Amino acid sequence: MNVVSVAKRDFLDVRRAKLVWAPALLYVLFMLLFFWGQSNSAEPEFYWVLWNLAGLGGALVIPLVALVAAYLSIAGERESGSIKYQLSLPVSRTDVVFGKLLARSAVVTIALLAAFAVGIVAAWVLVPDMSLEYGEYAAFTGLTLLYALAYVCIAVGISAATASRSRAMAGAIGFFFVFNLVWNFLPVGPVRMVEFVLERAGIDYTETLLEFVFSLSPTGAYLNGMGLVFPEDFGPLHAAGAGTGVGDPFYVQDWFMLVILLGWVVLPLALGRWRLERADLG
Amino acid sequence: MPAIETSALTKRYGEDVLAVSDLDLTVESGEIFGFLGPNGAGKSTTINVLLDFVRPTSGTATVLGHDTRDEAERIRERIGVLPEGATVYERLTAREHLEWVIETKDAADTPDEILERVDLLEDADRKAGGYSKGMCQRLGLGMALVGDPDLLILDEPSSGLDPTGIQDMRELLREEAASGTTVFFSSHILSEVEAVCDRVGIMNEGELVALDTIESLRDASAGTATIDVELAAVPDSLDVGSIDGVQQVTVEENVVTATCADTSVKVDVVCHLDERATVTDVLSADTSLEQLFNRYTGESTETDESASQEVIA
Repeated sequence: MNVVSVAKRDFLDVRRAKLVWAPALLYVLFMLLFFWGQSNSAEPEFYWVLWNLAGLGGALVIPLVALVAAYLSIAGERESGSIKYQLSLPVSRTDVVFGKLLARSAVVTIALLAAFAVGIVAAWVLVPDMSLEYGEYAAFTGLTLLYALAYVCIAVGISAATASRSRAMAGAIGFFFVFNLVWNFLPVGPVRMVEFVLERAGIDYTETLLEFVFSLSPTGAYLNGMGLVFPEDFGPLHAAGAGTGVGDPFYVQDWFMLVILLGWVVLPLALGRWRLERADLG
Repeated sequence: MPAIETSALTKRYGEDVLAVSDLDLTVESGEIFGFLGPNGAGKSTTINVLLDFVRPTSGTATVLGHDTRDEAERIRERIGVLPEGATVYERLTAREHLEWVIETKDAADTPDEILERVDLLEDADRKAGGYSKGMCQRLGLGMALVGDPDLLILDEPSSGLDPTGIQDMRELLREEAASGTTVFFSSHILSEVEAVCDRVGIMNEGELVALDTIESLRDASAGTATIDVELAAVPDSLDVGSIDGVQQVTVEENVVTATCADTSVKVDVVCHLDERATVTDVLSADTSLEQLFNRYTGESTETDESASQEVIA
């Protein structure tokens, strides 16, 4: 099991890098802030904490946690040359990609599970009279971990496809900018572009098609997948477009958001692996 | 079965850079082979192809009978490598490095015995980020020795080592060779290779320009000699080249340098020059292996400080 040997060594190495844990700390801070916010409310509502955590946490901090943990995983070793020590052992380049993925996913999972554990304690301490929905909390944790995993795969993929730290960083920032900020938050994103083009061309389209375009980024899929976590009657859910009805096409159903996230797990890894297999490690 | 065999191996980078050109090289099992050449001659590229770090543009290479492209992992199971320009993992200790290599290679060694061999036992539990260049190099060598490999491929192994370290490394290489391991190492410094190698190959500008035993190269170099004659002023016509046995003449400032087919011709050169100008100084040197190396690789002998020199006048 050469993948395991790569992963073990890499985990031992990366867990000692303090920077890797910093974004997770930021996530914990946001979490404490949201619980504290509810503690000031007359009727503390657990779902609002999760809702804020999905929005701000999902949009900004989770990608940051994953990208920072993994964007240098392979490109950093190529720049420093230590990948030559790694590949002098009976290990293939594919083993390196998957070993790195295992190690960095482990780091991110541990960090986020710790953050969610802190969340429970914070809820007990800060807002003792708020009822905690453990089932929903677990579902939220699961969906968030899948989202984080997709971003780890993206970061490892970018790292496998680039030869230096600076290019890996440019790739990671570029991805975050396009598939996060532009895609889901800025008013000039692909949703508006598609809408504009279809209108100009005089083609009929439905709102669900635009919703699908929104969901194609990891962040869009994560946000629209919130219907899996929240109860049907949670108001903001429908206002935001998530939690679609029974009659909608499959590609905007809640479960399909998981398929899109899995796509973001598979595709960047496949591309990164393909690039690394063909690279000259001079 | 040869330990290493390349056939018509060529590596181009882009359109312009021809790093290795049509290389045919065979390293026999059990020998210590020195791979020589100035920086940029194509040594590292060749080694990188052998390790499948770099893919050849054309031609093939086999290591221990396995094709480097198709069976890289089979090769890596049986070789030890000290790569060039690679840094160790700065957040891991030397012991952790070795535990990792031993586990990955499924070897029977213990970290301590390897650390002892490369003299790192005292610093075994310090993080490698605080190591000196020489210590990193010794750690790299230690990792290469894990699992008693059939072939050691070492790229510039002495870089960063102090004289004692170089001595220790030579000793290690001899021990390994005595136990049947083939050793293939590259260097841009001849004296390192001279001391331990059975055979050497000299690379220059991507091509193998010489391939022979140290003894034969020494014989080839024994015949020639050079002489430097300093003149008060250099007259227009010297015509040193017309003397029988003079192979090459250069004039730089007031110094005439002649390469002679054998030692006796040197006297003719001095007499010849004395008839035409005022000789102020004479410096004579027998061609060393170093100069031979320099001639193969087109480097000037002027910078050669280690050549044995005798002052005649």
